Amino acid sequence: MRDPDVLVIGGGPAGMSAALEAARSGLAVELVEQRESLGGAIYRQPVEGVPAIPQSAGARGRWEALSRAFSTAAIPVRFGSVFLGVDGHGYVLVEDRQKGLVECLSPRAVVLATGAVEHVHPRPGWQFAGVSTAGGLQVMMKETGTAPRGSVLLAGSGPLLIAVAAQMARLGNPPLAIVESGDPYRRIMPGLGMLGFPKLLAEALGYLRDIHLHRIPWLRGSRLFRIERQGDAFSAVVRTGDGNQSTFVCDRIGLHDGIRPNDYGLPPASSEAMADPVIVRAGDCREALGAIAAEADGRRAGRLVIKGVAASTAGDMEQIDRQRRAQALLSKLFAPLDDRSPLDELADDTLLCRCEGKTVSDLRNLCQRADSLTGREVKHNGRFAMGACQGRFCAANTAALMARFKPEAPAPAAADLTGRRWPVRPVSIGALVRAASQDNDTQ
Amino acid sequence: MQTRTPSTVIVVGSGIVGAGTAYFLAKRGVAVQLLDAAAPAAEATGAADGAVSVASKRPGPMMQAALAGVALYRELAQAGLFADIFKTRSTFIIASSNEECTVLTSHADALAGAGVRVERLGAAMLRERFPALSSNAMMAVEVHDEGHAIGYQIVHRLLTASGTLVSRRTPVEGLVTAPDGRRIVAIATPQGNIHADAVVIAAGNGSGKLLGLEQILTPRKGQLLITERAPALNAAMAGSIMSGRYLLSKGSQPAGNGKPARGLGLVIDPLSTGQFLIGGTREDHGDRRTNDIDAVSHILADAVALVPELAGVRLLRSFAGVRTAVADSLPLIGRVPGLENAYVATGFEGDGICLGPITGKVMSELVCGESPCIDIAPFDPARFPRLGVAA
Amino acid sequence: MTEDTFRLMGRTISFRAGESIAAALQAVGVLTYGPDALGNETRCFCGIGACQCCLVRVDGIVREACITLARPGMSVEPVERRHA
Repeated sequence: MRDPDVLVIGGGPAGMSAALEAARSGLAVELVEQRESLGGAIYRQPVEGVPAIPQSAGARGRWEALSRAFSTAAIPVRFGSVFLGVDGHGYVLVEDRQKGLVECLSPRAVVLATGAVEHVHPRPGWQFAGVSTAGGLQVMMKETGTAPRGSVLLAGSGPLLIAVAAQMARLGNPPLAIVESGDPYRRIMPGLGMLGFPKLLAEALGYLRDIHLHRIPWLRGSRLFRIERQGDAFSAVVRTGDGNQSTFVCDRIGLHDGIRPNDYGLPPASSEAMADPVIVRAGDCREALGAIAAEADGRRAGRLVIKGVAASTAGDMEQIDRQRRAQALLSKLFAPLDDRSPLDELADDTLLCRCEGKTVSDLRNLCQRADSLTGREVKHNGRFAMGACQGRFCAANTAALMARFKPEAPAPAAADLTGRRWPVRPVSIGALVRAASQDNDTQ
Repeated sequence: MQTRTPSTVIVVGSGIVGAGTAYFLAKRGVAVQLLDAAAPAAEATGAADGAVSVASKRPGPMMQAALAGVALYRELAQAGLFADIFKTRSTFIIASSNEECTVLTSHADALAGAGVRVERLGAAMLRERFPALSSNAMMAVEVHDEGHAIGYQIVHRLLTASGTLVSRRTPVEGLVTAPDGRRIVAIATPQGNIHADAVVIAAGNGSGKLLGLEQILTPRKGQLLITERAPALNAAMAGSIMSGRYLLSKGSQPAGNGKPARGLGLVIDPLSTGQFLIGGTREDHGDRRTNDIDAVSHILADAVALVPELAGVRLLRSFAGVRTAVADSLPLIGRVPGLENAYVATGFEGDGICLGPITGKVMSELVCGESPCIDIAPFDPARFPRLGVAA
Repeated sequence: MTEDTFRLMGRTISFRAGESIAAALQAVGVLTYGPDALGNETRCFCGIGACQCCLVRVDGIVREACITLARPGMSVEPVERRHA
């Protein structure tokens, strides 16, 4: 099989629309998707025979249009395949998990559309089984059509928490409570600003109505700051806005403190058209602005691929800019009431890096010296961001905490800890060896 | 040569050699200023295979230096300094063909002749000692009393234990000599000139420009791999494995398909974390940012051929370091010709971790006017007549 | 063993076509799949293959339970064999 002209990584809205746009011009396009179905996290589809979970008419309509167009275009998809990176010779490496081997492809362009990851502040006990991200609970609901069982507490900040709560309620198991560090009711100006985004507002009000109907406590201005095991359940200690502490006993906890691009380790976007391959980023992995912007950004990326990196993308940019304004309003709306960083009150034994078992005090001890370590030194000597998740869930927190321990030093970035090497995901050595055996041009 | 201990010394480069030098000088009470263009262990030291080993050495000055290097690691581990970061283990050189068996047998004799404790293991014995090994392995030589250390951990420990602070992001732009040209009075940095009684250059490939060594030093890249934790398999490895083919082909393989010439060796080191470090390449260029699937998949194919269960482990990271190689394959250790208070220590290529601490000790002795604890005559920079401070 | 079951540490688990291993296990109340190599409890956390918290060994190969489809007859074991 001939290598495609354009390889798109990720089968969410950004990747699908980029692939569609590029395919329209007659280029041979293929899409790489780690799962066995398209949609990404936002449009994760239910398993056979399960009705889709209730969602807004807008989201349903967007997905139907996108998936119909995608099927019509008949773009080949490599399902069950994981993007590993671009190697030093320009090969695009994809682990085909069905065949159990790594393929080395030479497309002219690569569109990276790997989506977003949730941000989760470290809290004592966040590492227990039964604690997941709220988005993780949500994709599972979308897939199975059932709410997580038992009593569930949602905590953190942002509109995703109320969406998950409403969806759980509609599926028959409303959460025990939502612990929200912000208080949108007290943020008048950004609240008024949302009037300029009637669809978003309608969606949010729909969720709030369900929360109200099911009498789900929405504890605004509150923080979940400790999770403890209590038999088979958890006891979750919450500090409410009035300074009091209360404890929730629950079976599952969903955490969510925002989203950010899932760009860890990814090669940089090309700055010139002559790059081989040309690398373009699209959607949440370029800038986390949600599904509407992702689809527009996918089209923009598709056009860049066709016309070179200098193509005009003004029409799509307008839509993306609008979503950026909406996201900026939302983050003001949900800004924490308590402006002290949750990182400042972490107990010493709080796990910061779960993969390598490294704690807040490990980092503090490392930073307690007259000179200031770089991010890479902290990675090497503290093993932060060295584990299997390659820093996706600790690098940003570690960098932020380093800056608090050493305010006078140049502030490290998450990327200083994660670096930029392939494989961007751990990969089976057996599959890499089979890359060698299919490669005939070397000894 | 200095006749007395200087009170201030600038060390340029905070790789393992610079950090070792700073540590031993600080222990003598010398005030050390350690400068680095980037940060500690940012270059070759931070991307090394970590072998503290004589196993691949042939009799000669490098083997002698490596023996002293290994002995110092053991001593510092016993003293507590390296106790938790120097892993003692054997190196097993494995032969998988008749040709390799022949070469390995004579190599073992040479090691034994130099006083190294080696043991020959036939196929059956090897299987018993080393259950993870493939049945392709025909024989092995176990080189005892060796070890493994991770370069950046050693540097961090040396700096922390001696209280040495590092001026990070401080590139040295030039050396300022006295009017007679025989002494260095200061080094020039973007932050201004820094004065000291003596200067030690341990700046790896960066030493070339400072000392006019561009013709003598060449960057040599090595790609390395690290796996996820696999404690059960790790525990089934009695030590590190070196492919006997490494002895056959220390040189580069022919170039082809427009790719640069490079050598592929195979070392598999079981780390104390339960991970495996697998290497590596020797390539005649200096781009440390990249790894290529061609090298990685071939190294791993060789690794799986010797340890089949590695196929079920995942690769976590690839990385590359650029070492400093000298034209005649021996490092430069000694006083800079023509300058009475400037010293250089670089060009260790793949032996920097093994030789870093002992070289640091030697440099501290030289700077303080003592005779060095190992014979460094073969490494004297004066063997290159044109070497001198860049105009 | 029927068409729509797989084995988890010797136990038979039913699943629906198209379901991930993590979803099938959640449906029968299994939230952890044995400790990982460091002794951490494995668990489904991010749901998108990023966090590496939900590693299992599927027919001998390490995989993320949240993005790996359940297939008839597959064997799912804890990621670290010594704990098997």
